[in-house]
Amino acid sequence: MTVSILMLFIFGASYLHLTNGVFDMTVMDILKTLLRIEPNPKFDLVIFEFRLPRIVIAALVGVGLGMAGVVLQGITRNGLADPGILGINAGAGAAVVIFMFFFQLHLTSADMSSWLSILMMPIFGFVGGAMAAVLIYTFALKNGHLDMQRLILTGIAINSGFGALSLFLSLKMNAQDYEAAAVWMAGSIYNANWIFVVTMLPWLILIGFYVYRKSYLLDYFQLEEDSITSLGIAVEKEKMKLLLASVGLVSACVSVSGSIGFIGLMAPHIAKQLVGIQHRYVMPVSALIGAALLIFADFIGKTVFAPSELAVGIVVSIIGIPYFLYLLVKSKA
Amino acid sequence: MAFSILAAAPILIAIVALVSVMYGTKDISAITVWQAITAFDPSNVDHQIIRTGRIPRIVAVLLVGSFLAVAGAVMQGITRNYLASPSLMGVNDGSAFMITLAIVFFPGLPNYQMILLSMFGSALGAGIVFGFGSLIRNGLSPVRLAIIGTVIGTFLSSIATAIAMYFQVSQTVSVWYNTKVHMVDMDMLMLAIPFGLVGLVFALVSAKAITITSLGEDIAIGLGQKTKAVKIISMLAVVCLTGTAVALVGKIAFVGLVIPHITRFLVGVDYRFIIPCAAAVGAFFLALCDVLSRFVNYPFETPIGVLTAFVGVPFFLYLVRKHGGEKRA
Repeated sequence: MTVSILMLFIFGASYLHLTNGVFDMTVMDILKTLLRIEPNPKFDLVIFEFRLPRIVIAALVGVGLGMAGVVLQGITRNGLADPGILGINAGAGAAVVIFMFFFQLHLTSADMSSWLSILMMPIFGFVGGAMAAVLIYTFALKNGHLDMQRLILTGIAINSGFGALSLFLSLKMNAQDYEAAAVWMAGSIYNANWIFVVTMLPWLILIGFYVYRKSYLLDYFQLEEDSITSLGIAVEKEKMKLLLASVGLVSACVSVSGSIGFIGLMAPHIAKQLVGIQHRYVMPVSALIGAALLIFADFIGKTVFAPSELAVGIVVSIIGIPYFLYLLVKSKA
Repeated sequence: MAFSILAAAPILIAIVALVSVMYGTKDISAITVWQAITAFDPSNVDHQIIRTGRIPRIVAVLLVGSFLAVAGAVMQGITRNYLASPSLMGVNDGSAFMITLAIVFFPGLPNYQMILLSMFGSALGAGIVFGFGSLIRNGLSPVRLAIIGTVIGTFLSSIATAIAMYFQVSQTVSVWYNTKVHMVDMDMLMLAIPFGLVGLVFALVSAKAITITSLGEDIAIGLGQKTKAVKIISMLAVVCLTGTAVALVGKIAFVGLVIPHITRFLVGVDYRFIIPCAAAVGAFFLALCDVLSRFVNYPFETPIGVLTAFVGVPFFLYLVRKHGGEKRA
C-alpha cells in the first residue's frame, strides 16, 4: 500500500520534472515521444538527452542515499547519522577530486577512454569514503562502543578537512576540469547523462541487494549488545560489513552527483513513520522516499529560479536542516 | 610565559610581516620595501605593489587573526565550552549571510554600514544557535551546541547561495563568502580598525570577569559577579570582533577555535593573560598561513581557509578524542 502510494508520488514528481523546464512540453508530447508514436527529434533530444537521465540519476542517488542512511542509523543506533554529516560524502568527494585531478577527464565527452575513467570513479570514491569511515571509527570508538557525540564531531572535522583538500586540489586543476569539479562538488545533477547511470547502476544493484538481504540484522542491532552476541551474531564483523556496504552505496552516489546531504537522514525517519521499525520494510520504503525526495528537490531546484538552476544539494539542505533540528528538539524533549 | 609571549610577539610578527611584504608572486627586496614606506615614489611599480597590495594585506591578516582568536577565547571562557568558536557557532555564517542580503537588496552600501550589518549578522547567527541550544534539553552542552551551530551555519549559507543565485549575484557573493585576503579594501581596513579595537577593549575590560565566569556560574555569582552584565559585554566583544573580521576578509574557520586552546596551554587559565596572548598568537598564526598560502601552489594563491583547515582539523580531532564523550564544560 505504502509502496504504491510512493510509486505514485515518484511518478508525479517525474511527471512534473519531465514536463516543466526551460522548454515546456505537454504530457501528450512526452507520451508520444516515449512510446515512439510520433517521434519528434526536438523532443527526443530534450527528453532522452537531458531530462530522463537526470530523473533516473536523481532516483538512483535517492535510492542509494536512502538505503545508506538506514544502514548507518541502524548500525550506529543513532537517529542523527547521515552520510553527509558523518563525512563519508566528503571523503568520497575528495577521492573523486583526486581522481579528476590526476586523470583530467572531461566529463562531457563520450569516447572510450572517458567511459573507462568514469566507470572508475565510484571505485576511487569508495576508497575515499572508506578512509573517512575508518577515521570516524578510530576517533569515535570509545571503550569499544561508538560514541554518538564523538561520531558527529568527527564528522564535522572530516567534512572540513576533506572539503579543504578538495578545494585545494580543484584549484590546482586547469580551468576546464575546475569547472567540471566545481559543478560536481556543489551536489548537482544537471549535467547528468547516461554514462553516469551505467556507472552507478551495478553498484547500486549489487550492494543494494546485499544490504536488503542483511537488513534483518539491523533489527537485532537495536537490541542490547549482549543479547545480540547471545543470538550467535558476530556483531562487530557484521557491522563492519554493513558499514562498508553503505560506504559503497554512498560512494557510488557521490561519484555521480557530488555531495548531497540530509537525504540519508530524512528518508529513513519518514520510512519508519510509515511502516514501523522492521528494517526489512524500512529499507525499500526509505529507498523509494529518497528517490521521490530527490526528484522533487531537483524539480524545485530547476524551476523555482529558472532559468538559473539551484544545485539540488542546496535545495535538500534547505529542506533537510529544519527537519534535522526538529529531530534534535524532539529526540530530547 | 605570558610575558615572554608578549615580548616575543612583536619581533616574530615583524619578521612574518616583513616576509609577507617581501615575498609573493613578485619578490621585492627589503631595501625597496623600506623606500616604499619612507620615500614613496608613485611611478615605481614595486612601491605601488607594497603600498596598495601587500601592506593592506598583512595589516588585515594580522587584525583578523587577532580578532578571531580573541572572539574565540571570549566565547570559550564565557560559555565554558571547549568547542566554542565563531566558525562552529554560526557567528561567522550569520555575518556572511547578512552581507549576502546586503549585496542583493541594498547594493552599493557604504562600508561602515556593511560592517554594522555584518555585526548584526554575527549577533543573529549566535542568537539563533544559542536560542536553539536553550530550547533543547542539554542543548548548551559543548557538543550539541557545536552540532546545532554547524547545521545552522550550513542552513544560512544554503539560503544565502539560493538568494544569490536567484538574483544572479553569485559571483559577487562568493567573493565575500570565500576569504579574500588578497583584495583588501583600503577604506574598509581603515574602518575595521576602530570597530575591531572597540571589540578588543570590551574583551580586555571583561577579561577578569571572564576568568571568574569560566570557573562556573555558581561560583561567579557567589563571588558577587554581575553575570548578566559580563555576558552582555563579552557577547558585544564577540559580535564586534567577528563582524568586523568577516566584513574585512570573509569567513575563516578554525582560527577562533584552535588559537585560544594553544594560548591556554601556554599561559594558563587567567583570561587577563589569555586574551592579549591569543591576539598575538592569532595574528602570528594567520600571517604565517597567509605567507604559506602564496607558496604551496606557487605562483597561484591558495585560499587561506584551506591552510587553516589543514592545521585546525587535526587539532579539532585531537580535542574530540581527548574530551569528546565526557560531560565536561
